[in-house]
This record gives sequence, structure tokens and C-alpha cells, in this order.
Amino acid sequence: MTGSGRGPAGEPAGRAETGGQAGRRRAADDLGVLLGRVALGDEEAYAAVYDRTAGQVLGVVRAVVRDPAQSEEVVQEVLLDVWRSASRFDAQRGSASAWVMTLAHRRAVDRVRSEQKAAERERRVPSSATAYDEVAEAVEARLDRERVRRCLASLTELQRESVTLAYYGGYTYREVAELLGVAIGTVKTRMRDGLIRLRDCLGVDS
Amino acid sequence: MRSRGDRQAQSVHTLAGAYAMDAVSHAERARFERHLSGCDACRQEVRGLREATAALGAAAAVRPPDALRERVLRAAGRTRQVPPAVSEVPVRRDRDRRRLGLRPRMAMAVGGAAAAVGVAVAAGVVTYDMQNRLDQAQGRDLTVAAVLTASDARMMSARVSTGGTATVVMSHREHALVFTAAHLSSLPVAERYELWLIGPAGARPAGMISASGRGRMVGPMVVSGLSAGDQIGITVEPASGSPRPTSPPLVMVSLAG
Repeated sequence: MTGSGRGPAGEPAGRAETGGQAGRRRAADDLGVLLGRVALGDEEAYAAVYDRTAGQVLGVVRAVVRDPAQSEEVVQEVLLDVWRSASRFDAQRGSASAWVMTLAHRRAVDRVRSEQKAAERERRVPSSATAYDEVAEAVEARLDRERVRRCLASLTELQRESVTLAYYGGYTYREVAELLGVAIGTVKTRMRDGLIRLRDCLGVDS
Repeated sequence: MRSRGDRQAQSVHTLAGAYAMDAVSHAERARFERHLSGCDACRQEVRGLREATAALGAAAAVRPPDALRERVLRAAGRTRQVPPAVSEVPVRRDRDRRRLGLRPRMAMAVGGAAAAVGVAVAAGVVTYDMQNRLDQAQGRDLTVAAVLTASDARMMSARVSTGGTATVVMSHREHALVFTAAHLSSLPVAERYELWLIGPAGARPAGMISASGRGRMVGPMVVSGLSAGDQIGITVEPASGSPRPTSPPLVMVSLAG
């Protein structure tokens, strides 16, 4: 699966790693340049940004929000936010892709949590085993990028579970601790260690 | 043995992973961001972790429905953008700037129809309505733009006890504030609202408010010469104005910070 059928949506899965990394860097640079044009009101550039990011944004939002209709709403909010605040993107503070994905993930968890409050968390009454399996399965089906899968697999089990539940499941570290029956401090540490290992494995630290 | 402060800093720092995955509460997020603002190493770390989470997100990509594209692009065409931060923007409108004798930052602010949105985002407490009112106002006065676009601009709003709302955008860096009010109760012809800077040394007149008709927005008025500890207040005075307040203030806005 690719991010979008319309544009160059990142490197094809399974490409040799060095080529893939170089391609990714180039794509990231291009996205940053496009965002600069979007900041000046360039609608064509915005369409190109949409084509590059909509698939990824939808992917992460759907993982967290789950409900397809609501996911689309959130995606629309995120992408409008990209349009509205493109001038706030600062390449000094990270890649364009990380900026967009941060907006997306944050909005997705905000949506889920505000809804949870309203619905008294009825939607997510996780018994630890099913919660992890559910999230992991939903996500694994979409993890078509060999590199990420391989790097996730290099984490310890607790690191992987913590990262997966937090990022794809949208759970807070406190909830993750409860789900996994592990001390809160341990989960915090595993999340950080896990992400550091993931970052090093992916070679994404710029 | 480590001090309590050290342990706290350590425990805040451990949150970097959870923070990068938004796995924290709003309060924790705010606290961690305060910590980040004073910790270069932490910012660097979060930046790296964010690249990792972005890769996780990208790996979950799916094909979006075709209809979504059109919907989003159309909505964007109707959505106003946050103006670029002043320092990052190439200066344009040279001709206009020369003609008006503006400093570049002012020219930018006047050029961007939505400059006040930037202030709104910075202040984080502003309703759309207020921002809109300031938008309408800003073209009228170029000094207003300097305050609105100041990097330390803050916006505050307060209810006037006899009705209406007073809104202040202030910049200590510019030593000035912009005052606007809306929906003030109308006064008898012989009376007018007067604006005051009220500091430890007493009240200094800051201008008569010319309200024209009920419900209308007044201002923007520019008040310069702010000092530490000043508050801004409104009283009702004889139409010619008073050198000192002769009635209790209907609203006071603290300008601290």
C-alpha cells in the first residue's frame, strides 16, 4: 500500500535500505520546500502536500481513532491545520514529515480522549491481553514497510508493547502501565528507551 | 544523594518518550514543554524521537478516499492562514513600505490580513470573535500592527462591569498596548469613557474613548509608555476628560508579565 495513489508518496516498500534512506531524505526536503510555498498561500503546493501526506495522516489517525467516519473528520482537521499554520513549520526543529505526523497524532489522541471523557471510556474497556492484540493486529496489517517492522522487532517485548500501545493505540503511559500491569516509572522508561532504539535503528535522527 | 530538585528534573526528563508519543495528560504536556524550553539536550532528544514516531506513523499509511482530497482542498481554499513569523519572511511590498515609511515588520503586519491570528495563537486564550474584531481594526493604525506582531505580544480580555468587553494586546518590548472595547453601554452626551494607566504612583490619563453608538467596537487606541506594575482601567468622566479619575474603575486589566 502506498500513501496515496496520486503523488510520489515516499519510497516503495522493500527498496534497499541506503537507497530508501536517501530517497526519504530527498522526499523530506521536498516536503519542507512545499510547506514553505504553502505558507505563502500556494494552493498547488498544498495539493502536492496533500498527496504526500494524506495517506500517512489517515493511517495514523485511523490507528488511534478507529472509527472510519471520525477518522476522516480528524484527517480533514489535521490537513487544514497544515494549510493554516504552514508558516509555523520550522525545519530547525525537525523534518516536515515529523511536523505533519505530530499534528496528526496529537489531534487523533485529543479526539479519542475527549470522546472518552464523554463516553466514560466505554469504548475502551481494555482487558490487557485483548487491547494489545487488537492494536498490534490492526497495525501489523498495515506495517508494510519492512524497515519499521524490523526495527520494531528489535525492541524488547516490553518496549515494543509500550510503544505500540502508546503510539498506535493512543493510550497514555498511565493507561499503558495499567494494561500491561507494570509500574508507571518502568513504562515511562521503556517508552523512552524503545523510541531511542527505534530512532537509532531507523537512522532517522537528523 | 540527589536533591529533590534533581530527582524531579530527572523524572520530568524521563517523560521524553511518552511526550513524543502524546502519551501524557494535558497538564504533563504543558509541564514538559516548560521543561523543554530550558533544556537544549531535551529538545534535541525529542526531535529525534519525533522522527522515529513519524516513521511509525508513515508505516501505517493507507490510501485515502478520493472524495477526501477534494473536500480538503476546497476547505483550504476557504480557510485563512496564519501569517508567517516576521523574522522568517522575505520582505515584500517595498514600494508600499517606502511610501508609508514603515519598518519592515509593520509592513508585514499590515500586509497580512490575518496578522492578529498570530497573536491569538500566541496568547492561546482568544476567541475567534475577538481576533476578528482586531483584524478589522488593525488596518487603521500602523502602530497597532507593531504591537500585534511583537514577539512578546499578549492578549487579555475582561468584562466591563456596566456591560461590554475590554481587550488589550500589549507588548512590553514595544512599551505599548493596543486597547479595544466592544458593546460598551452608551453614556449620556455629557459623559465619556476615559482610559487610564494605573500604577503604584497613581493614575495617568491614557485617552478618551470615542464610542460611537451602542454595540460598536471602539478603538483601537494605542497607549505607550507602559511601566512595570501598571494596570489599565476605564472610568466614566465628564465628556471633556479628567486629569484624575473621578469615579471607580469599571474594569481593570493587570499588565503584569
